[in-house]
Amino acid sequence: MSDFALQRPLTKRRYTLEVRQQMAWHWQALILAGSMILGLLISGTILVVAGVPAGELLNEFVILTLFDSQSLTSVLFQASPLIMVGLAGCLAFRAKFWNLGLEGQMIFGAIGATAITMWDIGAPSMRLPLMIAAAMACGLLWAVAPVLLRLKLQVNEIVSTLMLNYIAINVLLHLMYGAWKDPKDAFPYSPKYESFELLPELGNGLSLSIPIAIGIALLVLWFVNISRAGLYLRFVDKSPKVASAVGVPVAKTILMAVLFSGALAGLAGLMVAAGQEGRLTHSFYVGYGFSGILIAFLARNNPIAATCAALLIATLFVAGRSLQVFYQIPFAMVQLIQAVLVICVASSDFFIRHRIRRVQGGD
Amino acid sequence: MSKQNAIQLSSVSKTFDGFKALSDADFTARWGEVHALLGENGAGKSSLMNIVAGLYGPEGGSLFIDDNPVKLKGPKEAAKLGIGMVHQHFKLVTPFTVAENILLNLSHIQTSGLYRERLRRVSDDIRAMAERIGFGIDPDARIDQLSIAEQQRVEILKVLLAGAKILILDEPTAVLTEEEAENLLTTVRGFAREGAAVILVTHKMNDVLRYADQVTIMRSGRTIKSLKPDSVSVDELVKLTVGESAPEQTAPVEQRTPGEPYLNVKGLTSTGGHRALNGLNLTLNKGEIYGIAGVGGNGQSELANALMGIPEGVEGTMELIGEGDLADFDAARRRAIGVAAIPADRYGSALAGPLSIADNFALGDIHSGRYGPFWYLKTGAIEADAAEAVRQFDVQGVRSLKQKSALLSGGNAQKLVIAREFSHPPKLVLAHSPSRGLDVKATEAVRERLRAARDSGAAVLLISEDLDEVMAMADRIGVMSAGRIVTEFSQPADRQAIGQAMVNHV
Repeated sequence: MSDFALQRPLTKRRYTLEVRQQMAWHWQALILAGSMILGLLISGTILVVAGVPAGELLNEFVILTLFDSQSLTSVLFQASPLIMVGLAGCLAFRAKFWNLGLEGQMIFGAIGATAITMWDIGAPSMRLPLMIAAAMACGLLWAVAPVLLRLKLQVNEIVSTLMLNYIAINVLLHLMYGAWKDPKDAFPYSPKYESFELLPELGNGLSLSIPIAIGIALLVLWFVNISRAGLYLRFVDKSPKVASAVGVPVAKTILMAVLFSGALAGLAGLMVAAGQEGRLTHSFYVGYGFSGILIAFLARNNPIAATCAALLIATLFVAGRSLQVFYQIPFAMVQLIQAVLVICVASSDFFIRHRIRRVQGGD
Repeated sequence: MSKQNAIQLSSVSKTFDGFKALSDADFTARWGEVHALLGENGAGKSSLMNIVAGLYGPEGGSLFIDDNPVKLKGPKEAAKLGIGMVHQHFKLVTPFTVAENILLNLSHIQTSGLYRERLRRVSDDIRAMAERIGFGIDPDARIDQLSIAEQQRVEILKVLLAGAKILILDEPTAVLTEEEAENLLTTVRGFAREGAAVILVTHKMNDVLRYADQVTIMRSGRTIKSLKPDSVSVDELVKLTVGESAPEQTAPVEQRTPGEPYLNVKGLTSTGGHRALNGLNLTLNKGEIYGIAGVGGNGQSELANALMGIPEGVEGTMELIGEGDLADFDAARRRAIGVAAIPADRYGSALAGPLSIADNFALGDIHSGRYGPFWYLKTGAIEADAAEAVRQFDVQGVRSLKQKSALLSGGNAQKLVIAREFSHPPKLVLAHSPSRGLDVKATEAVRERLRAARDSGAAVLLISEDLDEVMAMADRIGVMSAGRIVTEFSQPADRQAIGQAMVNHV
């Protein structure tokens, strides 16, 4: 029993790691903000190395993007569908349902809205509300099969939602190259929407989609924080096994959250089609699925944080575009910055869960 | 120099987010002795032993193993030094076999050879060791096929085969029947006689008096005293542990006339291959406590699950007279009727550890609309009720209602469960090992609640593997064996006769 090496006694230990019981939300926000700033500093360094003059960075990213009204408009223009997919991600992930089918649901949302325009359903004044309803309904319906399969037969939703994306993409291509192709256009696009089928502008270039996005964010905030469903979701999220034993209607809760998620993804599809493109195109959805997951992750499934994260990602896109034009920075660099941000935020989690404490040594 | 001290800890402290779990604790255990670590729930016994086992890093103080100062970086290092801990909640991978579990733990020793070869070698070692110490354990059995007592034996075999010379057992008898506990403690005393050091973390005076050579008493994070158990009286030991006048011994159960039948269980049988429940019949009356006694693993858990609505494949009926079959009721209906469930596995089926105390409490009354309609949760009302319940049921260690419930100690977590379940006067109380792992005061508090429910007319079913508890509580006692009630006794019941019935039908 005595052949082990002599080791340093305990009293030399200077720092210990403690698991925190809880952390005030403003501290969490501060740590999160700090990690984002760190991520931006690292990104800035990378850009400087890539040849962007250091002095121009601030100008490019902050001043020209956020303080120039035209750029700000385009950030907001870019942001609303991102907010929608981000919120859709938050809802599904809170129910421990890995909805990788945001793009598929988005495509069907846009197809639903476009169907209203193609078949001229409803009076012009009712057209836009009908399109919104159709988009949400179709996005929701595209999420029905995977959630039911998961609840009834334990089919893994990661696979089913992802595969349904490919079906949705091919349905979209089928329509764009076939029945719904605009005969006046060489590209695989649908005919342009009528003016009353577009999300109206509110003057100064802002689209109606921004207030809608903020309204929906508040709705989601209510759903997860104020309604009883939010309490149920917390149980499903944190202790699924206990949830059913103590009387949380687990299946109903998951169903509700996932269908809500699908409806919001569908709405994102409408925002791109009727708010940005003015028609259905064959590739409008590209990148939104991943962005939605990313935003939900950055925001820790918190709807307000998701809205902020979506704005940040939108800023990156807009600023990235001008970097591309003026400094010949490849667009991959924008993706690299996204990735750096994700890593920084992911590691900040450690400080929210733990506390490093200095301990008085005993020697 | 002869080395006598197996473990020596001096002035060790440990803080959890501001809460001092240990302050300047000292502890010494010698080779060849059974050393009991006695204290109430939350006294710091487990924290102290987790430091020895390398699970926690202390903040000051020093640890000596075999008179050498050491600094443990983790449980693996502790294992290398011959320290093995059997936790209160077993650390076994349930779908794996005994041999696989033990091999997993030996990964730092058994590294050469093919997997199958190593598994075969470990199986041989298990058989040899099991035979030597009198444990009837089949290395090829799957963990989920074993009873709690058998799983505990696997845990002990696991640490012994990893070369443990210092064996720490955290509340080992909490889950065992009297006879199983006796066997276990006799076995571990045998280890000590062969030169090992055995540390028994417990709050049972009987275990200490009968099996320990030395006892160290802990109270609120401090080690109060270390002494020989035969040098003090029980009263003195209790006084040192509790720190004040101990709760009084409960009077024997008086004879009562039961009310009318309320729960009628007929022909309850497990549908799986293993007939854990085998045609169980049982009638529970209003205003009585019906105690189910029996050796563990005779279908008690399955019965509890079936009654509490925790998924369990059974057929047969569980008729709640005037209401319908319990199996048809969802949680909302159960609460509306007044069914209170206190499951044995607190963090597996009663409390969501990562969620706040308020959230956990809210579920008790969520369906009635007291906490607002579906679209609006009245957090103020929830917190007010939770605060009141925490006060009324004496849940300690609550610094905020927003604190995670996992941070409550076992006894306080149990009080929180009861506070939630009893937030409405219950009509039917289903309690499975409700005082498991609780200290004297908490146990008495829990029992008082059950008696009060009975006195106000509720039908109380108490399933417990602790015969003393059943004897002290129940108006009628049913002995469960091989999935059915084999004999019923009315109070005053003969303990000897019950014991006979428990073992004769196995």
